[in-house]
Amino acid sequence: MPSPLFCDHCHSLYPAEGGDHFTLLGIERKFNLDQNELRQRYLQISRAVHPDYHGTGERAAASVILSARLNEAYRVLADPALRAEYLLELAGGPSAAADKHVPPDVLAATFALREQIADAKASQSEAVLADCRERVRQMHSAAMQQVADLARRLPGDAELRQQLRGALNTVRYAQKLQSEL
Amino acid sequence: MSTEDIIVGIDLGTTFSLVAYVDEAGPHVIRDDNGDGRVPSVIAITPTDDPTRPQVTVGWEARRHAVENVRTTVYSVKRLIGKGPQDLREELPYLTYTVAPGPRDTVQVEIAGLRYTPEEISALILRELKVRAERYLGRPVRRAVITVPAYFDDAQRQATRDAGAAAGLEVVRIVNEPTAAALAYGLGLRQKHVHPTPTEAGRVALPTPTCPTTSAVKLTAGSGETVAVYDFGGGTFDISILRIEDGVYQVLSTAGDTHLGGDDIDRTIIDLVTGEIRARFDVSISAPATRQALRNLAEEIKIRLSERERADIELDLGKGRVYRRTLTRDEFEQLAAPLVERTIALCRQALRDADLTPEDVRQAILVGGSTRMPLVRRRVGELFGRVPYTALNPDEVVAIGAAIQAAILAGRQPDMLLLDVTPLSLGIETMGGAMGKLIMRNTTIPCRATEMFTTFVDGQTAIRFNVLQGERELAADCRSLGEFVLDGIPPMPAGLPKIEVEFLIDANGILNVSARELRSGKQAAIQIVPTHGLTREEVARITRESIVHAQQDIAAHRRIDLLNQVEFDTHKTEQMLAQVGHLLDPAERRRIETEIAALRDFARQTDDLDELYRRLTAFGHGTVHLAELGIRAALQDGSANET
Repeated sequence: MPSPLFCDHCHSLYPAEGGDHFTLLGIERKFNLDQNELRQRYLQISRAVHPDYHGTGERAAASVILSARLNEAYRVLADPALRAEYLLELAGGPSAAADKHVPPDVLAATFALREQIADAKASQSEAVLADCRERVRQMHSAAMQQVADLARRLPGDAELRQQLRGALNTVRYAQKLQSEL
Repeated sequence: MSTEDIIVGIDLGTTFSLVAYVDEAGPHVIRDDNGDGRVPSVIAITPTDDPTRPQVTVGWEARRHAVENVRTTVYSVKRLIGKGPQDLREELPYLTYTVAPGPRDTVQVEIAGLRYTPEEISALILRELKVRAERYLGRPVRRAVITVPAYFDDAQRQATRDAGAAAGLEVVRIVNEPTAAALAYGLGLRQKHVHPTPTEAGRVALPTPTCPTTSAVKLTAGSGETVAVYDFGGGTFDISILRIEDGVYQVLSTAGDTHLGGDDIDRTIIDLVTGEIRARFDVSISAPATRQALRNLAEEIKIRLSERERADIELDLGKGRVYRRTLTRDEFEQLAAPLVERTIALCRQALRDADLTPEDVRQAILVGGSTRMPLVRRRVGELFGRVPYTALNPDEVVAIGAAIQAAILAGRQPDMLLLDVTPLSLGIETMGGAMGKLIMRNTTIPCRATEMFTTFVDGQTAIRFNVLQGERELAADCRSLGEFVLDGIPPMPAGLPKIEVEFLIDANGILNVSARELRSGKQAAIQIVPTHGLTREEVARITRESIVHAQQDIAAHRRIDLLNQVEFDTHKTEQMLAQVGHLLDPAERRRIETEIAALRDFARQTDDLDELYRRLTAFGHGTVHLAELGIRAALQDGSANET
């Protein structure tokens, strides 16, 4: 699939209005994608649009914006959580701001973990902290597994999207905990 | 090739600066008559009868006389650039020249009652390098790539670019020092596969350039390697983790401290000696000349202790008081250890940000003069679990990398792709004084973010906001880039205007801000008052009036530049006519031959330099077709680098 950013033949740049991340990178819109292919596409298009190859002046200004869009697209699509978040947005949401719910068991587990982390930090117990780290890691990977299962079935119905929202919110909880550890 | 095609690479260092260039044989540092590529970043500004025209000396000469001319010699100005008085609280007591607060949150150097911005002082170094390059190339140099520490913030990058402008250089790219080093490393490494003998670090041959329109870029999965560039210089420290793969240099993460370098290591020795002298003789060293001498001594001791186990210190304090002591390497390493540990902690942070462990790093590449210290080599070796890579000349590799980046920008290295990151998160101050992040640190540049603004009061026509860089939660703990004012909003009820502000970090790591009122679709005016740097007007003034230019008779200089260019362009054109002239229409060939003669004649007798420049430019336009034929022919021969 050709990228809409530049002409394959004459290498001139097109103005970068519209187009989603998948279109920019010239790959099919779906959750399961070949990371290696994604990276190769990204590097290949970068070689065409990067400001290093477009001198100064107007053409350079266009290439800076194209590159910025391309970098953003790659950043989002290369990260499974961000990719799922983005696909959910394209499918109509709900967004994280609109729906903050997580499954009740996650909420309970998070509270328990947070307490334990605070205690372990206070008592400087490396063993307990290591245990917390492991449990957060499990929480994260379970949530990511669920995200992958649901995101694969997008756009789906409202219920599926809400479930995915909950799973993504759980991932955020886990990331927040990880940053505290 | 015209003047516009010449782009040099400059390493503007805290202690030393260098200029390098890529020619047919590859990148190399441009050296002085003694074979030294380094220009000490030391400037002496001596007042003369004409206060607007002080005498300026740059480099070894200024460095040699730093003790006698202590009040008029400026060094380590890189530590001042883009900084305010508050940032420099700890720095100032150690400096032997006078630093005064400037407008807004900036500083200025004061010599004999005259004030100079750090940009102007840096411009004097850049001018010296420019002249050195022009002498070597025999042609005017107007464009440069300049390196900065990866951890430089927006203000420091802007200030470096402004210094270039003041020196008469268009800074076509600001490139990060560790990234430049990685380019030089990668190129040398690739050559090793071609030549069985390892290439000398200072001079690596470039692979033959290929036409960007015909080269099919082959990318194989899983190849490539992850490297860490540990860059410990005279004033700054950077660590960058990169992935190098098939000509792609992708920075994964970077961390650093723009106030941590050899200068700080010297200070541990200075503090030890002054402390002991105070305790033993009740003498405090305050005379600037003595402090400057002590600074030189500390640096010497440090260098000596990299090679030997002990160094003797002897200082005659007058009145029969002599301070003597032996400093062992062990003692010295204890003094320096806290500083070195700070670099190691930053390495760990960079690894974490790249989501890697030390074992993932194939090579730890040492750059910068401070990496000559055995303690540094040992600690880096311990962290990464391998012997660090020291085959690159730590003083020259950054300049070499800058020259390679210059060659990429000049289109002479189309198979290399450099993807760098922004070192610091960018955001705006939110209500309540928090830092609202818009772009996270270590995001690949160019990158952008948009934010919507509106009014709070009916009829409000301007909005102010504060742009920040840094990682802390509170705006007050981050660095303010300046106050941005959105002007000319049509008067409307509060909350109705919708102004989209775009924050774009370009490939230089420098922020560009633009705004659009969405209802009218009109570009909104945006005014920026930089907190730490120069306003556009101040840059223009310096470029116009500065001592940087008072130093030379501009007209005479320009005449030589132009005559050289005429000579070069006409000679090149004759060569091309000889090679591919037969491909031209005979009439075109005759026209060009006539124009060569006419341009030379005119150059010989005219004093009208503007007219000469016009004719030279016209001559260039008239030979474009011939030049294209020449390049095409050369490419077909497979010897594009000989055009």
